[in-house]
Amino acid sequence: MTQASLPNRWNLPDLGLGVGLRTQHFGHITERWPAMDWFEILSENFIDTEGRPLYFLDQIAERYPIVMHGVCLSVGSTDPVDFKFLDKLAALAKRVKAVWLGDHICWTGVAGLNGHDLYPVPYTEEGLRHMVSRVRTIQDYLERPLVLENPSTYLTFASSSMPEEEFIARLAVEADCALLLDVNNVYVTCRNHDLDPVAYLDAMPYEHVVQVHLAGHTDNGTHCIDTHDGRVIEEVWKLYARVHQKTGGRATLLEWDANVPKFSVLQQEVGKASRFRNGARLARPVAA
Amino acid sequence: MSLRDAPRLETIERWMQAVVMHPEGAAAGVAARPARRLLLQAAAKLENVVLPSKSLTSLERLNIYAYMYYARLLEILTNEYPTTRQVLGDKVFERACRRFIERNPSKHRTLNLLSEKFPSFLARSLPPGNRRSLAVDVARIERAMEDVFDAPRADPLAAAEFAAIAADEWHRVRLRVNPALVPLKLRFPANDYMNVARAGASPRMPRPRATFAIVYRRDFKVFRRDQAPGQFKLLTALARGKTLAQAVRSSVSGRGNADRLAATLGAWFHEWAAAGIFCGIERAGSGRRGR
Repeated sequence: MTQASLPNRWNLPDLGLGVGLRTQHFGHITERWPAMDWFEILSENFIDTEGRPLYFLDQIAERYPIVMHGVCLSVGSTDPVDFKFLDKLAALAKRVKAVWLGDHICWTGVAGLNGHDLYPVPYTEEGLRHMVSRVRTIQDYLERPLVLENPSTYLTFASSSMPEEEFIARLAVEADCALLLDVNNVYVTCRNHDLDPVAYLDAMPYEHVVQVHLAGHTDNGTHCIDTHDGRVIEEVWKLYARVHQKTGGRATLLEWDANVPKFSVLQQEVGKASRFRNGARLARPVAA
Repeated sequence: MSLRDAPRLETIERWMQAVVMHPEGAAAGVAARPARRLLLQAAAKLENVVLPSKSLTSLERLNIYAYMYYARLLEILTNEYPTTRQVLGDKVFERACRRFIERNPSKHRTLNLLSEKFPSFLARSLPPGNRRSLAVDVARIERAMEDVFDAPRADPLAAAEFAAIAADEWHRVRLRVNPALVPLKLRFPANDYMNVARAGASPRMPRPRATFAIVYRRDFKVFRRDQAPGQFKLLTALARGKTLAQAVRSSVSGRGNADRLAATLGAWFHEWAAAGIFCGIERAGSGRRGR
């Protein structure tokens, strides 16, 4: 099933299989140093604090590759770019030697406020021009590519003039940014908007995709919510298989943020991805 | 919708934010003046702005975001203020949280500071009485726990470093207080109340009594403890930058005989050293700065 690897634009590495670093597992990780190829952190949880989370992160970053993934960069917002926040991101990235950093294709607030949610933009030419310009500005400032994720969306603006997958593909190419393809979000969004997830995946520019997300969600019947509170469903694994077929291997991460289970359950769940990756097993960390 | 009629991106964002942050939900948000001023066409026919899906109306789709906005922030306040919630009861607490979120929407990218004004908001907005005063005291302690959790790091002074301060140096020695420390003057024995409540019991409403507490972090764990009135006065004087001699004079001088005072001070400094309350020594005039 595995195909020859399609390199990404930046030759960023396939880090293997990782999970989101969550406070519940700090103790377990720093006592046992369990097998895991890499960790993804929620950037904002380690900014404006010098407490316990950063103390553990410093130790973990010495032994595992770290990727930074944020939720408040708000690249779609019409507010001015917050360069002070970018400085904080850059400082954290330097501290943990982040392999890459990113956020979502969305906006989180406007007029100086923050809703702490991932709001969709209208998929219009104006929206695209705005976001391309913002992403370029941010990338120039940070001097590295941004890795942006397709969000789960629950509404469609009447003014949208192109499908989400076209907007994202054009954004990646025109802003020359990297993509984090969340296949669970593809599933959720397509269910919510009655779209074909395979067509969505086939529209992606895979030379821009450097990372993949897997997660569980809640199916309310009328719509799905991206809750990250359970195992990955079989339909999402099928979508993952398709992405793997297209790329030949991308850094793959399991998100599990609510009803967080024991670390061994995360290892087992993300380990299922190895069946698409020549049975590659999770690696033990290097000694600090 | 023709391109000419399509609302600008900024208008759409401001409109959606006004709708989802409305405390009574998306329907009230769409009908309210801030949203109508931005997009009158949405109030006339919401489908002109947000499309329905096969199974959800336009309003139901907007309500997903409106519900999540309050649910997420309520969850944070509930996690940060469990004992305040116990003092007020679930209904009063949730009502207060909703009003707080409505009037103090987040302006920060991280959530650490979301509730920094929550204790003072409770003081202003709850009906006066002992329950409000206790709730405010408890909320101040719970907020302080958040603040010291995130505060800058500093290595504590060892007991031996205190012992090395000679008595004739007191007039020029200043102690640097750990930045992860918040001193609190309270109207109730709120720290005792929290000890009982957080042990899983239902404490009785205490009688008003001035108490003094400190909340601090040691080895990345957050602690809180009561202080004697003189002890608190001395510590806050030191935190304001007074020399040891000035701080002692202003807070505990004239109390009992010299031996007893020395024993009391010794016990307090021993307690503070064990708790890691001080993180440096400055000697005025000598040019020497410890750490």
